[in-house]
Amino acid sequence: MSISQEARLALLGWSFRGAGVSVRERVAFTADEVREALTDLLKRGVISEGVIVSTCHRSEIYSFASGESSRDGLTRYLSEWRGLDQAELEGSCFHRVGGDAARHLFRVAAGLDSLALGESEVLGQVRQALSLARESGSTRAVMHRLFESAVAAGKRVRAETEIARHPLSVSSIGFELAMKVFGDLSQRRVLVIGAGETGSLFARHAVEAGVLGPVIVNRTDSRAQELASSVNGRAVAWERLSTEVPQADVVVSATSSPEPLVTRAQVESAMRERRGRPMLFLDLAVPRDIAPDVAEVYNVFSYSIDDLEEVANENRARRAKEVPVAEKIVEEELEEYLAWLGNLSVVPTVTQWRRRMEELRDLELERAPAAERERLRGLLDAFSARILHEPMRRLKGESDPARKLDRVEAVRHLFDLDRE
Amino acid sequence: MESHALGWVAVVLYLGAEAYAIVSLVRPRVPALPGYLLVGAGLALQFADLEARARALHSVPYRTIGGSLSLFGWMLGLSYLALLFRHRERAVGPFLIPFVIVFSVLGLLLPQPGLVARADTRGPLFALHVTFAILAYAAFTFSFVLSVLYLIQKRQLRRVHTGLLFARLPALDVIGRMNRTSVSIGLSVLGVSVVLGSIWAERVWSRLPDAKFGSAILTLVVYGFLLWKDRRGWGGERVALLSILGFAMIIFSYTFVNLYLSTQHVFR
Repeated sequence: MSISQEARLALLGWSFRGAGVSVRERVAFTADEVREALTDLLKRGVISEGVIVSTCHRSEIYSFASGESSRDGLTRYLSEWRGLDQAELEGSCFHRVGGDAARHLFRVAAGLDSLALGESEVLGQVRQALSLARESGSTRAVMHRLFESAVAAGKRVRAETEIARHPLSVSSIGFELAMKVFGDLSQRRVLVIGAGETGSLFARHAVEAGVLGPVIVNRTDSRAQELASSVNGRAVAWERLSTEVPQADVVVSATSSPEPLVTRAQVESAMRERRGRPMLFLDLAVPRDIAPDVAEVYNVFSYSIDDLEEVANENRARRAKEVPVAEKIVEEELEEYLAWLGNLSVVPTVTQWRRRMEELRDLELERAPAAERERLRGLLDAFSARILHEPMRRLKGESDPARKLDRVEAVRHLFDLDRE
Repeated sequence: MESHALGWVAVVLYLGAEAYAIVSLVRPRVPALPGYLLVGAGLALQFADLEARARALHSVPYRTIGGSLSLFGWMLGLSYLALLFRHRERAVGPFLIPFVIVFSVLGLLLPQPGLVARADTRGPLFALHVTFAILAYAAFTFSFVLSVLYLIQKRQLRRVHTGLLFARLPALDVIGRMNRTSVSIGLSVLGVSVVLGSIWAERVWSRLPDAKFGSAILTLVVYGFLLWKDRRGWGGERVALLSILGFAMIIFSYTFVNLYLSTQHVFR
């Protein structure tokens, strides 16, 4: 009897590819809800093992359960729990079984199924999903190994390809350019003009990039104060903008001013004051806050939102080029996992177990006198048959598929059967 | 003519180091150790070759232009190894190692007259003078390579070209600081070399100054001006261009001045 006949790996999911946000928001799980759902599903016998991966782009339930029952059981459970129409859930979900389910998880962990190709956060979310499932007691050999292998695949893809190395967000690109000018940003002064959504995003990114206390300037002081306190920065009055510019190494500007706030003359004067030390401007505003001819000043680097978007597009293409290599890595890791899973079948394990006992018997017989060997062989065969009878009966008779696999794996480990 | 087998093996190792440096540039996660080992082993063998030359000449091994270029290559390799250990900055390797290879190969190919050293070229004063001069030239070569990389990186930043080289090359500020260090070392060491050389020349030469002396003073002036302007806010690009000009002068001094203008620095 192979495991595919008695239980199988399955995936039921709702992702941004097939389910709109109106569905995804209703099947999204918090950490507490994941624990609760997994405990319930185990209790009801819908699954033998299970892990739920829930992010803003997907909710996926990986399960190891008997036959076809899990799909129906899972959607019924969710529709009851969330008060949703089961038909709607069925209509928007996707379902994978066996190797396809495992492949999907490996691709998710590698960032190949993400909206932003190659993004790194999803790997942490896959790890977190395994950790929550462990806390709920819903993982055993199959799920544990599946998720560990998926994480390994995700790590390999990021280490061996460039898929995660080219930033996609304009804020990351802006600070990457700044780092290519200044190196370490921790000793650099960053001035953020405008405390709106974009200004706030860049101020936060500046802190992530190592900047200590960005300076915030905004027409409305209270908003500058608010943003400054959230990023451990310093708010400066709007009237002091012209005195702050020469002191800044990086100037980020994102206001709705109809006229440029920083002119070439101002920058030339600032550069004299700075004794030629480089300056970098990131202009996220439309119309522009930084006069275009500022870029012509010696040792000044100035980038508009179009420049940053262009790099983002190039980076997207660079990431896409890495997909074939990443897919190959996923397939290699998947093959290894499926080979391991295949070995967990009871019949080959029992056969290998018997063979191992025969090897041990033969080793012992070699040391015995030749005349005694036939008699001893019979004795040892009878003895090992008796020893193995009960464990094998229990192994074959175990009705819970997950527990059965746990035991098969224990036997394989204890008798070193995978060495073969 | 000597075989210089060790010198050639060193060149092969440098070629291996260059290939590895290019691989590291494309795939930065490959381990750094093989690169260190290849350069280190090359340096050890080239040093052994230089020592063999010194024994044959009963003098410093760089009395001939071949020996001098070999030492030049060796010191450049040593500087690169020091940079690897100090900054863990491997991206400079693919651009610097070719200079190590070229100087080492020229050192092996150029004629090596089997002359026994003149008495006046023995002693520590002469040895230190030449060693420091070559060390200074190695530092200026380093500065040249860094300056070219600076200009490449700056051009990429200006044109927003964010490809492989952009990602791998260090930040402008880092290249600028490394360049400043190289020029400072080169300038100090060349200054010491000129002083030592002048003292030595005064003892043994009847006619002063030599064209090479003038060339060294001009080099000191150019690089001194470069450092002075750098500190007064000239910034990277102009400093890089001046450093490239300085390097062109060194090549001119090493070749044309040595071979055709200098009457005393005899590399023939």
